[in-house]
Amino acid sequence: MVKMRSHASLRIITASLAVCLFAINAFAQVDSDPNSPTPIILSAEGSANRAMAMSAAKSRRSGKAGAEDSFAPHSRVVLFIKNIDLLEDEGANAFRVYAQDSTGREYRFPVLGLRPATGEMMERGVYALTTLLRDEIGYAEPPAEGDVLIRVAWRGLTSDRLRIGYGTTGGNIKDDVQPYSTLMAGGGSKDQGDVPDANFVGYRWSGDRIRFLEQATFGPTSALDSRIRRIGLRTYLAEQFEAPFPSVSNPYPNFPLKSTDQNNTTTGCGMFTDGTLEQRICDRDHYSMYPVQKWHFTEAFYGEPQLRHRVTWALSQIWVISGFGGDTQQSRWMTEYHKILSANAFGNYRTLMGQMTRNPGMGNYLSMARSTKNNPNENYAREILQLFTTGLFMLNQDGTQQMSGGQPIATYDQNTVNSFTKVFTGFGFCETTGPNCPNRALGAPNYIDPLLLNQNNHDVTAKTLFNYPGAPNATIPAATNGNTEMEMALDNIFNHPNVGPFVSKLLIQHLVTSDPTPAYVARIAAVFNNNGLSVRGDLKAVIKAILLDPEARGDVKTDPNYGKLREPMQFVTNMARTFNVKAATAALPSDGVVAGLLSPLAQNPFNSPTVFNYYSPDFTIPGAGLLAPEFHIMTTSTSVARANVMNTLVFSRVNVSENAPNGTSLDFTEMTAIATADPTCNQLLDALNNKMMHGTMSAAMRTAILNAIIGPGPQPVIPANNPLLRAQQAVYLVATSSQFQIQR
Amino acid sequence: MKKSRREFLMKSGCALGMTALATQMEHFGLMSALAQKVQDDSSAPEGGDAYKAIVLIFWAGGNDGNNMVVPNHSSATISNYAAYNAVRGTQGLALAQASLLPISVPKMGGLSYGLHPSLGPGATGAINPGIHELWAQQKMAIVTNVGSLVRPMTKTQYQNGSIPKPYQLFSHSDQVTQNQTSVANTASFTGWGGRLSDRMNTVNNPSGLVPMVTSIAGAQLFTAGQITLPLAIADSNTSLANVLNPVGFTPVNAANTARRNAFNQLRTVDLGSNYVAAASHVTDLAMQANAQLQISQEVSPTFPNTSIGRQLKQVARLIKKRTDLNVNRQVFYCQMGGFDTHESQLTNHVNLFGQYSQAVRAFYDEMGVLGVQNDVTTFTMSDFGRTFAPASTGALVGTDHAWGNHMFVIGGSVLGGDFYGMNTSNGTPFPTLTVGASGPDDTDSSSGARGRWIPTTSVDQYAATIARWFGLPQDLPTVTSVFPNIGNFSSTNLGFLP
Repeated sequence: MVKMRSHASLRIITASLAVCLFAINAFAQVDSDPNSPTPIILSAEGSANRAMAMSAAKSRRSGKAGAEDSFAPHSRVVLFIKNIDLLEDEGANAFRVYAQDSTGREYRFPVLGLRPATGEMMERGVYALTTLLRDEIGYAEPPAEGDVLIRVAWRGLTSDRLRIGYGTTGGNIKDDVQPYSTLMAGGGSKDQGDVPDANFVGYRWSGDRIRFLEQATFGPTSALDSRIRRIGLRTYLAEQFEAPFPSVSNPYPNFPLKSTDQNNTTTGCGMFTDGTLEQRICDRDHYSMYPVQKWHFTEAFYGEPQLRHRVTWALSQIWVISGFGGDTQQSRWMTEYHKILSANAFGNYRTLMGQMTRNPGMGNYLSMARSTKNNPNENYAREILQLFTTGLFMLNQDGTQQMSGGQPIATYDQNTVNSFTKVFTGFGFCETTGPNCPNRALGAPNYIDPLLLNQNNHDVTAKTLFNYPGAPNATIPAATNGNTEMEMALDNIFNHPNVGPFVSKLLIQHLVTSDPTPAYVARIAAVFNNNGLSVRGDLKAVIKAILLDPEARGDVKTDPNYGKLREPMQFVTNMARTFNVKAATAALPSDGVVAGLLSPLAQNPFNSPTVFNYYSPDFTIPGAGLLAPEFHIMTTSTSVARANVMNTLVFSRVNVSENAPNGTSLDFTEMTAIATADPTCNQLLDALNNKMMHGTMSAAMRTAILNAIIGPGPQPVIPANNPLLRAQQAVYLVATSSQFQIQR
Repeated sequence: MKKSRREFLMKSGCALGMTALATQMEHFGLMSALAQKVQDDSSAPEGGDAYKAIVLIFWAGGNDGNNMVVPNHSSATISNYAAYNAVRGTQGLALAQASLLPISVPKMGGLSYGLHPSLGPGATGAINPGIHELWAQQKMAIVTNVGSLVRPMTKTQYQNGSIPKPYQLFSHSDQVTQNQTSVANTASFTGWGGRLSDRMNTVNNPSGLVPMVTSIAGAQLFTAGQITLPLAIADSNTSLANVLNPVGFTPVNAANTARRNAFNQLRTVDLGSNYVAAASHVTDLAMQANAQLQISQEVSPTFPNTSIGRQLKQVARLIKKRTDLNVNRQVFYCQMGGFDTHESQLTNHVNLFGQYSQAVRAFYDEMGVLGVQNDVTTFTMSDFGRTFAPASTGALVGTDHAWGNHMFVIGGSVLGGDFYGMNTSNGTPFPTLTVGASGPDDTDSSSGARGRWIPTTSVDQYAATIARWFGLPQDLPTVTSVFPNIGNFSSTNLGFLP
């Protein structure tokens, strides 16, 4: 029933797509069933609630697996699982073992090995999974001794939970009443009406279509959902990779550079009398991020190249520059930076590194544009390593940290930073006459053309860079030209083995799930390292692999640790697109002036507080130790602000104002019609379940919302003759729920 | 009643939102009853001893302490103004000696040091005399050459690697983390403010109606404990009544009431997902606090309308409500940004120190009005200090990332008017301002040395001294549970608080 593509065929598809793009419409790829099977832990013979398990030592002595009752903390235990269908090379690091103890805490036990079980069990597709009974998160005290409920998660799906004795048996843990593997599945309406058809070339998995659109765009729309149903994921991706950008109707904002002296009466905005409309507009358009925000939201709401913009938005949260505090003073500075991210979103990471290093906005933000041999500045050298390429600690190819004596190993030390600092000296704003600096404008620094080397300001001493096996340019001899050195140094960074897993994990976190399995990271890092055509750093291949990975795909993800909090950007744009965003009142499009909605949510677009972005990729949920970057900005304050933004969007609008010519509102016509047609509001809930939660709304959630519309009493809470309010009531409650705010 | 509260906190902290609806409703009812009682009854809160609060002002970006506390003497025995000017003068970073605000330092043999001129009455837009005069009043102490350390370390040990260094020195995010966690040898998920609360909240705030820890500057590692989630609220531009108030539930009618009920009920279901549970738990915390903050209290003295001014004003409002909120101990986190002065440090420092000094003085005075001046201590932390040798020149002159740094501690109980901290190699707590091979406190001996002082006092010691005053029990297991590496240092009490 379930067909999984092999890793090898994935590569072939990647490669063939790269060479057959012109033929793509004639040769639509058939998407296979995205759903992985749900792993099952075998229970001990004669027991319904205890896992079949044995100590690893005994297993090696070929003992028969039985129902050992308890295992010493820190000992190795073999569990037996079945109902999995592995990719080639998919092994232990694709699995996670979680255990809950009697205090209610959940722990993660490392998975040390996975192999087919021997003998008769092998024929039944059983695998032996070896785990170590030691919490690897290390957030909390060790588990309480006694029976713990253990489960295995794989590709975002969880098994049911069974007992094993941790230290001893007994204790007051309670068995699950409902099968654990179905807890997060929701009522489900997936596949409704999608009858299998031998000639079907599209993508009939409705839950996964919405999930895919949440990952690859700024939110699902009915139109895109229908389109993907017809053409499938791969063809859609191929189209997106080729889609012109930005949209023809929404070119990049193009306000000319102005003096850094905003009040200058000839080259700033001081030419207008203080407080006039002209001056306000001049300040807004030239000296704030307003035009870039407006452009971005217009693209996010309506643009065709959704995937490119989604990836660009992710990259802008890795290669951060910011208007915060006036650091990136002018919209045009940000535009030129943003164009580089957009242009390279499906390009090569090395090209992106080169162009970004020479981008004057970045050069300003991280001080490189003013770093000289006599006055070197470490800022850019440090951050390109720490944040943009290698990270601080040596990584395995699956993104886990390499350890030495129980401690992570630093990727570099101060000497390395010093050397890269020297490499990046002497590059200043492009201010020479002649062909190198075509956009030089008198009275304004040149924030358009790439930084230009002044060899006299370049430190020409010898440098010692990264030295890893096969490292190019581990040393740079003295008296080398600065431009040559920069390329040598960027090659030296780019080929560092950390870059693949580091960048891959960040992109997975931005697009799909906060705490991916090491196996998922490894599959993507492998594509980063080699796209199948011996090219390293091919972001198109990386993005495609991230989105088509079996850990990303499937109608429902039941692992409680799968998913991510919708960052404010996705929270607002997803709602906007789901409900046909338009102008405040007129029959016009929205003007895209909605950045003000995101500020109270701690994500004022293009105004990150620091180069460390709005949130840290390493942030973990207090009390759980689960990676959850977006939770860094989920506080008591912003959680309420999130509800209040939805109140504005659902019950009100962003009104027309001086800076918002059209305003913004959501369109509930369709939902109102459904509420009119069905006074029980069951169809309304069905529609919202499909559109917003891809079928995962639980019965309890549905009941709670229906109670706020219909209620238990003889009279409905909201009369049937007010279908708009019924729709709004329901949409507000779904939108503000934690269930919706977690994308999974 | 008190027991239920504890159980709720433990449960919600441990199992993240496994709270059943019944518990939740009981909890809300309990809260209202308790609030009613407290507001009717002006007796001291439960939990025993008198109120205390600590207020961290984090200087994000890494403050250059070298231009905050400057030698103002010409003694030949110890780094003097000329030594300072020799390194910082040429590129234009040295403050003019005449501009320094003098402080006399007993630990330095009564020699004069100088504070940055913006820390006094002459700050731009000053509305109060600033903090300088609190030195003479002995309400302000300076803890010198503080930084992240795994264990004490000499220059030789630094260079030969015989003692473990804090991981990723000179890196913003890691050094912020090490200051906020007081753990320099490994990654830590919890901050020392959060861990203080983990240990003290149930004992000291047994019936507290809000968390012990409050951040006015968003989510911060400092505020996170194993079972502690902080209250995070906006600054004083928003009244306490509105700061966590969900809008859109008025007028009170059947539809709005039903929606509010459903809004609350949805947070009690589908908690199987740890992410859903975490989001619901944060919102629960907000809703519980919101119920207690509906009656706002305004404070009296004028606070400057700066970010730090508004943050401290909001802290003052909460402290004024301490009896209503039934808390005996509070930890506050505030933050100022902009200290990463790679460039244009002179103008930036004028603004930053002016804002800090004006806001902290207003706050100090307000604590006097509230009668808790001796019960509230503000203190600073930062990512790290900055290179003594400047970066760039002229108007752009700035400094790069370094290590050891100076901190201010201010409050009525502070044993002020002196330097505190472990002695450097020169026998005083103030580092020798010499760069490179002949500089005993510089990390680097090479020709490219920049003057990065090796700290002599660890973050752990600095923080533990504050925690001790705050009331953290001083038995070793308890202290170690909050400051796991404190055993690596000889002194756990630097003496700047009683």
